[in-house]
Amino acid sequence: MSYHQDGLIDIIVGLYALAFGLGIVADKILDFSFAVIMPGMMIAIVLPIWLAAKRKITMPRIGYVNIGAKGSNKIFAVFMGLAVASLGAFFLFTLATFQNGRPEWIETILFQYGMIWIGLGAAVIGSLFAYTMGLKRLHAYGLLTLALFVSGYFLAFPFEYLLILVGGVIMACGVALLVQFIHKYPLQKGASDNAAQ
Amino acid sequence: MPPSDEGIQNIDRLIHEPSRLVIMMHLYVVESADFQFLQHQTEMTPGNLSSHLRKLEDAVYVEVTKEFWDRTPHTALKLTKKGREAFKEYRRNVKQFIDKLPE
Repeated sequence: MSYHQDGLIDIIVGLYALAFGLGIVADKILDFSFAVIMPGMMIAIVLPIWLAAKRKITMPRIGYVNIGAKGSNKIFAVFMGLAVASLGAFFLFTLATFQNGRPEWIETILFQYGMIWIGLGAAVIGSLFAYTMGLKRLHAYGLLTLALFVSGYFLAFPFEYLLILVGGVIMACGVALLVQFIHKYPLQKGASDNAAQ
Repeated sequence: MPPSDEGIQNIDRLIHEPSRLVIMMHLYVVESADFQFLQHQTEMTPGNLSSHLRKLEDAVYVEVTKEFWDRTPHTALKLTKKGREAFKEYRRNVKQFIDKLPE
């Protein structure tokens, strides 16, 4: 049994991608930078909802576990790796965008194949989290994103609609998992403490 | 030649009982868990789980903390230092004993 079989993490990730895609669409229609403020807004709104949902839906059904330092260290190492990789990517991006006389090949690699990079990034991040959290379905989400973005690149499909599609699929999987979880582990009376006194 | 049973007396019989072994294994890999989580993992009845936990608690292998979350009682369980050491030793002893068997 995994602590993430409730599908909540899928709903959050899906919602995040969906909101980001919708933010870009709104940018284009309303000429307001929703996509810039969306990540912050989502963290501020979604994180407390996720924590509350864990407490109200998951814990009363399967209980609570603290995985401790060993598990946390593994997740921390992945986050640190991602942070360093993001910093490197940001440095390269800055170099390619703002430096005068930048090499053309950097521009080509970064911008022309941007969709493929995003797909590859999603596949790598998905695999890292799948390994860290022991959730095989994250591999599938990463590969789905890669497949959609690569085909989107060749079919010249707009980035934001692909993001909405990926977010929608992941969120739908999350909702299906949540429904399955609720049926599999119905709420029992006095579930939070069954210990015989 | 029949295998020697030398070393079997070193095996902690409190841990060796299958239900308690499963409880110890689950608590060994986490920092702490609550009663309900352990019940789902071990698939034991509440009464059965409580009874085994009481024995492990009496041996100071498991620490049971009762607290309130949102006015609901909550039982947190964790291995004590003694329990963790005892489990490590049990693991070593069983491995040694099994390893003595010919292929």
